[in-house]
Amino acid sequence: MLVFNHLETYLYLALVLFAIGLYGVLARRSLIAILISVELILNAASINFMAFNRFLAPHPAVGQVITLFIMAVAAAEAAIALSIIVAVYRKLKSINIEHATELRG
Amino acid sequence: MNFLGSFLTPQGVATAAFFMVVGMTIVGALIAVAARNIFHNVLGLVLALIGVAGLFLYLNSPFVALMEILIYVGAICIAICFAIMLSEPMYLPRPPRKLTKILGAAAGAGLIFVFLFLLTKKTTWVPAAQRSTDWSVTTIGHYLLTNYALIFEVVSLLLLVAMLGAIVIARGGRGSS
Amino acid sequence: MGSCDPIFLSCFLIVALPLLSFAVIMIFTWRRHKLSLSISLTCSTIPLILAWSLFYKLHNAVTLAKPIITQVNWLVSDAVIVPFGFLLDPVSLLMLCIVATIAWLIQIYSIGYMEGDPGFARFYADLSLFGMSMLSLVSASGMLQLFISWELVGLASYLLIGFWYEKFSASEAGKKAFVVTRFGDIGFFMGLVFLTFFMKDLNIPGLGIFDINGAALTHKLSEAQVTLCALLIFCGVAGKSAQFPIHVWLPDAMEGPTPVSALLHSATMVAAGIYLITRLFPLFAASATAMSVVLVISTITLLLSSTIGMVAKDIKQVWAYSTVSQLGFMAMGLSAAALGGSTLFAGYYHLTTHAAFKALLFLCAGVFIHHFGTNDFFVMSKDGGRKLMIPMVTVTIGALALAGIFPFAGFFSKEAIMAQLWHLPNKLWVGLGLFGAFLTAYYTFRVIFVMLFPRKDDNPVWKEYYVREPGGHGHGAHDDDHDGHNGNHGVPWVMAFPLIVLAAFACVLGFMQTGLEKFLLGESHPHEMNYLLLVLAVGSALSGIGLAWLDWGSPAAKWQGFIRKVPVLENFFIQKWYMDHFWRWFLNTVIYGTFSRIFTYNDRRVVDGGVDAVAFSTIGSGRLLSFLQTAFVQLNLLFMVLVLAGVGLYLLMGR
Repeated sequence: MLVFNHLETYLYLALVLFAIGLYGVLARRSLIAILISVELILNAASINFMAFNRFLAPHPAVGQVITLFIMAVAAAEAAIALSIIVAVYRKLKSINIEHATELRG
Repeated sequence: MNFLGSFLTPQGVATAAFFMVVGMTIVGALIAVAARNIFHNVLGLVLALIGVAGLFLYLNSPFVALMEILIYVGAICIAICFAIMLSEPMYLPRPPRKLTKILGAAAGAGLIFVFLFLLTKKTTWVPAAQRSTDWSVTTIGHYLLTNYALIFEVVSLLLLVAMLGAIVIARGGRGSS
Repeated sequence: MGSCDPIFLSCFLIVALPLLSFAVIMIFTWRRHKLSLSISLTCSTIPLILAWSLFYKLHNAVTLAKPIITQVNWLVSDAVIVPFGFLLDPVSLLMLCIVATIAWLIQIYSIGYMEGDPGFARFYADLSLFGMSMLSLVSASGMLQLFISWELVGLASYLLIGFWYEKFSASEAGKKAFVVTRFGDIGFFMGLVFLTFFMKDLNIPGLGIFDINGAALTHKLSEAQVTLCALLIFCGVAGKSAQFPIHVWLPDAMEGPTPVSALLHSATMVAAGIYLITRLFPLFAASATAMSVVLVISTITLLLSSTIGMVAKDIKQVWAYSTVSQLGFMAMGLSAAALGGSTLFAGYYHLTTHAAFKALLFLCAGVFIHHFGTNDFFVMSKDGGRKLMIPMVTVTIGALALAGIFPFAGFFSKEAIMAQLWHLPNKLWVGLGLFGAFLTAYYTFRVIFVMLFPRKDDNPVWKEYYVREPGGHGHGAHDDDHDGHNGNHGVPWVMAFPLIVLAAFACVLGFMQTGLEKFLLGESHPHEMNYLLLVLAVGSALSGIGLAWLDWGSPAAKWQGFIRKVPVLENFFIQKWYMDHFWRWFLNTVIYGTFSRIFTYNDRRVVDGGVDAVAFSTIGSGRLLSFLQTAFVQLNLLFMVLVLAGVGLYLLMGR
């Protein structure tokens, strides 16, 4: 059996990607870096969908459609996030998330 | 050269290419997360996304792979570059990283990784009883406009709203500043 | 029962029309005096006619034991039934007529008295409300309705006593009347509650008068329970009917316009208390203890107010204290009758006659006050009060009736009460009653003699007595048309007419004793004439008048009351037995000093403290929890992830 014909291969790969993205979200301070990490997480999800689509789904179109939707949502999310980043920078003169502490109790 | 020969079979070449793609993805992701320079992060992301597109090829879906490169690499990454240019100047000294934070993040991500790994491992994946083999793009288009028409419309609406919202949020400060 | 029932309809109109008039005047026509007057007069004339026609139609048909009740059950809860409606029996029927008549006469009278007053329409609206609430009280078929009307009477009296509210003393007097009577009403209401409470488990429907009254009452309630309820209800009676020690509001109530005083003192406010005793007579009669308390209190009231009346210089004060004493007299008669196993007739009869002659006296006083712009009858005397023929004659008739001289109304009713007192085993009571009658005659004729026989202008007594206050006691209307009235020796017919009618009543009511008794009780007891008592009563009244003649009337009189010989006592009386001082002291020490302080402390520490503690603990815990809100988004996210992973691992492993 070839390694790329296993569902688990892709799942583990997506898992690694997801964990790396999660680490980035938790550890990075720049808002842009966090956005990049979120993109990684979304891609991990996309890989999962495509893998399930390839190996399990009754019809191969379904997963691809979902992945396309994920891309669209990611695009929207990126646009909003970028505008937020610009706005935050304008307000705080910084995009370090640790500086955004106005809601501190 | 049996050893080398075994690699030169079509399967061997495919496997090697697959590992290369996987390596691209993971290395790209690591660069995207770990590099200190934000521009390097974007480049790492590009690398990882190209790798993911390659994976999509392996998953029998050239169309989605193409879209991946088109949308992610071609649009989102460029937008991120714009954001970098519009926000903090890159010559400013960056604050030093905090070890506790890195450790905490690693612990969180690691625990989730363990959890999902075990979950994946323990599960027995059962394919659907009847599986179609129709991979054509035509079918995707067909599905988009029939079964998933509602989601399609909603996504287009979402994009519109996101566009407007982005404009409103981003230009909010100009009048006042 | 049904809306087409003529009896129900007329009862309804009797009560509803004055209320309608009140509402219409207050809401729509209060700017237009003439229109308001005609509305109010219409709405009091129709009830007058209806009341008398009801009386005429039903006077043979109803008895105390067999009243006509038209009511609906407003609230039914298990055994407690609260009816609203009308109850017509001889007692309420007669009272209905009295109230309607006097209210009507006073409305006529006020046309003259209140002329030109800026609050003319408001005055008529309040009079209508007063009439309505009293009529509703009298005809109430249930105790709750009675209580509501009772409170409405209190409200209306507050509005009317404080009618000239721009005058500080008037608004104060209104408040005093309201608060003091409310003080008694607490007792009344508690009595009602207890009564309902006691009778509930006995499965007696609760708040209808006759359910309370039933002869079976004594069998179903213990002696102590009846006594408790009777005494508590008597608290309300004492408040409304100005019995010792909460009579203090009544003299102050003189601050209101004089027609109001007349109404208040004869047919409405104070009569309500006595009416309540007659209404609940069986309940009171069931408890000898309660009745003894009532007897003692009413006797004290009688003597106290008579003695204060002896030294008062304000004509309305004198009449006010005489009202208090006569109310005490009525309560004495009722309680003595209850103790002696007799009927309620004597006290009720005195209520009837008193309503006539006391209204008369006040209206006469009102004429004088209106004319001379003062309340001081010495001043009236010097300024020629006796030249006003009609009021002078009628006031004398009223005074004779009040003193109890044959053949005026007071003689007969007092005689009836004396007979009740005579029957008590202890002759002390009748002695005190006779003494009270003596004092009454004395202070009444003090006023009359002073008014009738003024001294010459250069007589030295005027130094003491002729004190004309700057501005006088008059009200706004008086100042406006003072000159117009002063030279005019006539009395407007609208004011004279009620005087004449009431004087006629005071003359003839006495001879209707037998008829009234037959109407009220269904039978007339043959009177065995007690000549000794007759002689004693007339003798005490006449000696009172004689003493007044010696002190005030005869040309040789020095215009010094015999009480002057005991200065301590006189001062005591002038200070009104120090009752106002007592209450001031009581309020300051007991209420403000003790209860208020405890309650304030409770408020500050327990209630406020409790609320504050809740607030502070909320703030504190919020502050504590806010430490979690670090504004470190990633930290929050990290915890989220950790918890998610932990829970997931636990579920995965635990399976």
